[in-house]
Amino acid sequence: MPVTFIGVRHHSPACARLVADTIDELRPAYVLIEGPADLNERIGELLLGHQLPVAVFTSYRDDERRHGSWAPFCDYSPEWVALTRGRAVGAELRFIDLPAWHPAFAGRSNRYADAELRYADVMERLCRGFGVDNVDALWDHLFEIAPTDGLAERLATYFDLVRGEAAAGESDTAREAYMASWVRAAAASAGDRPVVVVTGGFHRPALVTLAATGDTEWPAAPRLPEGALGGSYLVPYSFRRLDAFDGYQSGMPSPGYYQELWESGPSAAARHLVTSVAGRLRNRKQPVSTADLIAARATADGLAMVRGHASPARADVLDGLASALVNEALDVPLPWSSRGTLRAGSHPVVVEMVAALSGNRVGRLHPGTPAPPLVHDLDAELARAGLDGAGDLDLDLTRPGDRSRSVILHRVRVLGVPGFSRTAGPSVGLDPALRERWALRPDPGRLTAVIEAGAHGATLADACAAALAERAVLAGRDVDALAAVLFDAALAGVTEVSDRALADIDAGVAAAPDLSPVGRMLAVVLTMWRHDRVFGTIHSAVLGRVVTAAVRRILWLAEGAHGGAAPADLGRIAALAACRDALRHAGRALSLDLHGAVETASRVSADPAAPPDLRGAAFGLRWALADLVTSALPASGPGSGVTGAAVPDPFEPVGVDAVRAVRGAFVAATAGDWLAGLFAVAREEVLHDEEVVALLDDLLSGMGTEDFLVALPALRQAFEFFPPRERETIAGRLLARRGLGGTGRSLLRSAVDPSVVAAGMRLDERVDELLSSVGLVTGTGIAGLVRGVAIVGVEGAGLSTETEGRA
Amino acid sequence: MKELEVTAPADQVQRPPAEVRYADELARLRADDTAARPPGWVLSVQAARRFVIGDDRLGVSRKFVGDPSLIDRALITLATSRGLMLVGDPGTAKSLLSELLAAAVSGDSTLTIQGGAATTEDQIRYSWNYALLVADGPSTRSLVPAPLLRGMAEGRAVRFEEITRCPLEVQDCLLSPLSDRMLAIPELTGPESMVFARDGFTVIATANTRDRGVNDMSSALKRRFNFETVFPIADFDTELTLVADEAGKLLRRSGVTAEPRRDVLEVLVTTFRELRGGETARGDTMERLSSVMSTAEAVSVAHAVGLRGWFLRGESGNAEDVVACLAGTAAKDSPEDLAKLRRYLAQQVDWRTGGQWQELRRARHLLPG
Repeated sequence: MPVTFIGVRHHSPACARLVADTIDELRPAYVLIEGPADLNERIGELLLGHQLPVAVFTSYRDDERRHGSWAPFCDYSPEWVALTRGRAVGAELRFIDLPAWHPAFAGRSNRYADAELRYADVMERLCRGFGVDNVDALWDHLFEIAPTDGLAERLATYFDLVRGEAAAGESDTAREAYMASWVRAAAASAGDRPVVVVTGGFHRPALVTLAATGDTEWPAAPRLPEGALGGSYLVPYSFRRLDAFDGYQSGMPSPGYYQELWESGPSAAARHLVTSVAGRLRNRKQPVSTADLIAARATADGLAMVRGHASPARADVLDGLASALVNEALDVPLPWSSRGTLRAGSHPVVVEMVAALSGNRVGRLHPGTPAPPLVHDLDAELARAGLDGAGDLDLDLTRPGDRSRSVILHRVRVLGVPGFSRTAGPSVGLDPALRERWALRPDPGRLTAVIEAGAHGATLADACAAALAERAVLAGRDVDALAAVLFDAALAGVTEVSDRALADIDAGVAAAPDLSPVGRMLAVVLTMWRHDRVFGTIHSAVLGRVVTAAVRRILWLAEGAHGGAAPADLGRIAALAACRDALRHAGRALSLDLHGAVETASRVSADPAAPPDLRGAAFGLRWALADLVTSALPASGPGSGVTGAAVPDPFEPVGVDAVRAVRGAFVAATAGDWLAGLFAVAREEVLHDEEVVALLDDLLSGMGTEDFLVALPALRQAFEFFPPRERETIAGRLLARRGLGGTGRSLLRSAVDPSVVAAGMRLDERVDELLSSVGLVTGTGIAGLVRGVAIVGVEGAGLSTETEGRA
Repeated sequence: MKELEVTAPADQVQRPPAEVRYADELARLRADDTAARPPGWVLSVQAARRFVIGDDRLGVSRKFVGDPSLIDRALITLATSRGLMLVGDPGTAKSLLSELLAAAVSGDSTLTIQGGAATTEDQIRYSWNYALLVADGPSTRSLVPAPLLRGMAEGRAVRFEEITRCPLEVQDCLLSPLSDRMLAIPELTGPESMVFARDGFTVIATANTRDRGVNDMSSALKRRFNFETVFPIADFDTELTLVADEAGKLLRRSGVTAEPRRDVLEVLVTTFRELRGGETARGDTMERLSSVMSTAEAVSVAHAVGLRGWFLRGESGNAEDVVACLAGTAAKDSPEDLAKLRRYLAQQVDWRTGGQWQELRRARHLLPG
């Protein structure tokens, strides 16, 4: 019963060569490959003659679980070589692993991910022993660059050592039992002829044991559970996506380099790497001198010599290039010294090096390949909604029928399928547009685009959700882009987002550098969370999580914004106002940390280094939340209640003394900015506090004329936060305080342009000066009122410096 | 009056140089060394590498916690015609690494120039014995060689610490020794007026990334160096163990018998790592502190925490002590850093589980100001 087990590392050229040599030599009856058994009847599809990389995409969905995973193949994948060489020698080909939708694969998005990470302790000891940085360098050192003789034995030793005595996890046990049953059946059926089994190296020791005893029936491919939807199909893939898996999902990184290694061997791959890095850098106008390249080559050769490589390995070449080309301190470590995707802040030279390693090869399916189910699903959806023709559409989003058509169109648009364009409709923001116009035009590129999009999912909804999740990752710290993704999700009716995508969105918000974009996003998302019945996003868990993250980030950023007096930044004030709304309207539902927010606001409002507008806004936030905090007692932050809850928190917020705060903050040069912040966040509180209005009146009346004119533009901006009706209320109070009759309305309806009032005041001032210089001092009680008009009068008539100059 | 004794007996020296401290290991490596040595080196590259990253078989200790590939690149650089520039934050063991490399390459780490604002070319290249100069005129007898001249003449590694703290024009006197591998002494005549570097001569410089603003390097000089950035310890557990070990040693020497608490140290080391890296475990980004949050500083805070707990209450230090001690180290005299620390304690601690984190948050009022 001659069964040859080859334990491989997925995407390893050395293993691929070993597989090819073994199959050519043994000419086996059966080649058994770790791959989805549900695809066995369609193995022919794989061998149609695609341009690699391609992947088998498997989707699954039942009531509880939803799963999508890929099994990528490139030219140098041992599994791919097993297929092609096996076919060439006339062997029967079988995939022998459980389908990707099986619960044994729950949480895995890459079938051919490395298993080394599951054995971290052993790997660390091995790396220490060999004096290398990580698993990838160790693998290259032991197998890719090392001479090929004894490769099979070395591989077996390596995997035995790494797997050691460790018992396999539950999912591995299930898979290994299943694979072993295929091996036994094939061995029995082959009789005296050889059988070659190509699986991940970590399964090999277990398979050898399990295959020795047991029944020899051909196992059946597991059937999808009742009520579940799913299937596997071929999709085009790309090196970029292959390289983008990280953590537990990652296979061998740097597909571009390994492709070269597979095609032309280590020395040529090393040369090619240097050439392409230098080419890329020179294209980007980065200086790369011949002397640098000589130094890089010399260092790489030296490193190869020290590390015992016959020709430079991947890390040797990279280390050599980094030594020669990077002549300044790095902000983050070299990416190949640790595993994972490229980190933000990497040196530009390093970024180009990683891009060169990754390569830009894109796979293409043979035209005869059955189209992925998305193509059929999309056509069916379009036909069902009557959207399969050409023409122009006008949709009313409040009508259910139109809304569902709009959802389909948006999903198609999100997938980047040409021929569907929206000419009008709601955009990111808070505009109340409820009509959409679409132009549908046939486009020759449509089918190709849909096949490509088929890699995202089997149905239109799933593919759209996956495409949006990918966009969320790409958005990174660009919160505006993130907001656009969330809005697109609402338009496309995507209400569930994977945990991974949520984590990415969280990370994007948590790393956002500026207040204004986070505030803009929070305003949009909060509105969608609170009100949106059209898009059905009301109280959606996803948006709730985004709101939580944004509030947290705004409070964090607010405390860090420092800087002296500067004109009020409306964006950051608006961010605090959005934060107030979130805490007020969603605080309880999302259990936001109200106490923490008030504490932060208190600190910012009292921080002399904070800009005045932010101080005012922070004070307003504290004021606006004061009643919530007292009503919420004795609840407190999540920290309390763990131990010693009886200890009073020295930061327990105390009552807000607004009069004192306003008086303290009233400095002529910055009063307007401070008030702008206050009014933006706590307008209603101000309006309902007569004492504060009175105090403001006194303070403004008491300002020196020069001071007042300096402060005027900022003051006008501040009072613009009050709508006209409220301005009237204020004006009415001013009149009442002076015992004058009339309404606030009449005071504000002055036909005089405020700029003229200001000019008049300047004239008055000069007259006053003259009069007082000759001993005829005058004084009117009306001055304060005139100032009031100058500030809040005639709406929209801004007081620009130009008009002031003219006056 | 008793004459000043300059040479102390070896066992009374506070900190002997690496080649003395690790003389046994160097001897074992040399005896075991069969690989070819670069000209002028006392060890092969492979043996030098094992000296730094350790070799259990020969009983050679691991002296540098970091990527082995950094050591490979550093050694290969030293074997080529470029100098080695170690850059990184303070407290990342750059100077230790430079000492170890010099000891491994030349068997001597004492040819050291300490850079500073007052460093002159005399202290780098050579100066004169002025009595002899006046009596005999310029000659090799009246010449007083400084580390660079000696390193070139004897074929040894020269260490230049904190090079960016020297004025730019002083740094530039390294240009021709590094590129032409020679040093002119114009005062002398004949063949003695040129010193050509012997095999084995190389320069290992260190610079703080925090000092970049003080004095940059000329691009001509940059081209003659290969830069290697030394990063703080990447692995949490490694750093925690190192801090626990070192702080434990210091505490025992200070007469404290209570071992530092592991959970308190975890909080301390996490705080240091996050404030240093500008990113929390949850992924929030924040501004880094301007003061140095190195592992060495973490050790000294852990030491102070232990002292406080023991001498004030007779127990191990707790989170409250951490806050009290952080103010002194992390913030030093910078109000901005103090504000950043306060902000961190108020907003980035509450979401974590673990009793000590909650204690830490509760103790945030202990920060001054």
